[in-house]
Amino acid sequence: MLPLTLTKVLKDPHQYLGGTDLKITLPVSRTLLNEVLAARPADVPVNELLIDPEAGNSFNLHLDVKAPLIGSVKRKITFEPGPAVTFPGQPWLHFEITDGFRLLDKPIIKLMQGQIADRLPKGIELTSDHLRLHVPALLTSAGYQTLVPLIKSLRLTSEANALVLNVHFVAEQN
Amino acid sequence: MHPVQKHLFDTNFKDLAGTRIEGTIALSDELINLGIMDFLTGLKNGAASPAPEAPSPAPAAAPSALPDPKQMLAMLNVETLKFRSEAGRIVVDVKAGIA
Repeated sequence: MLPLTLTKVLKDPHQYLGGTDLKITLPVSRTLLNEVLAARPADVPVNELLIDPEAGNSFNLHLDVKAPLIGSVKRKITFEPGPAVTFPGQPWLHFEITDGFRLLDKPIIKLMQGQIADRLPKGIELTSDHLRLHVPALLTSAGYQTLVPLIKSLRLTSEANALVLNVHFVAEQN
Repeated sequence: MHPVQKHLFDTNFKDLAGTRIEGTIALSDELINLGIMDFLTGLKNGAASPAPEAPSPAPAAAPSALPDPKQMLAMLNVETLKFRSEAGRIVVDVKAGIA
């Protein structure tokens, strides 16, 4: 259970934090990222999931998934993070898939696009070309919808051994 | 404890090295007072815990204990920390990072 103070802030951040204007740069190391991925729920049908951030703003995702009929599928997918999320104009955190799919992967993904969309949580979109996260939808589904208007910009970039999150929070005064 | 939290504590947050924070944090008087009440409630709840009847053996190890504050402060690099009060709130200008 959250402390009363935090509950109140989450309910109306402008009332309690009005006047706050904060820029945060948060580099998250490869080790910590993989700790986060390792802590995924046990029912996620993934045998292996590892992330490998590289210099030059791209990162690799090593995954071994259990697919129906064909069994285990191993891939190393390369993602390139896109531009900053800004509200309300650009709410998607975009990752271009630049490498890693084999010959038949893309046609199969296109064929199964509807099923993939149905199985993914609301706010996550995966195609054969990109992965997109709708930040307001994900925050809302996690119960933090009041924080959405505070985020003036949010950007994820990759450097050697770390993903770097840059966030600009502003809470206007009521 | 969540495994990610445990990892952060066990490694004294070294996987977040390079973190920077810059700007202004404004906290309303009401929030400060709620925080004080939360703190006092926590102290009271701690004091209300019954004392053990017999001395319990020391734990074999204390994994994932809270990080050593001295080590954490040594990692902290504060360039600016200015506190001021305004009508109905306190304001802190901060520029700091984790080395």
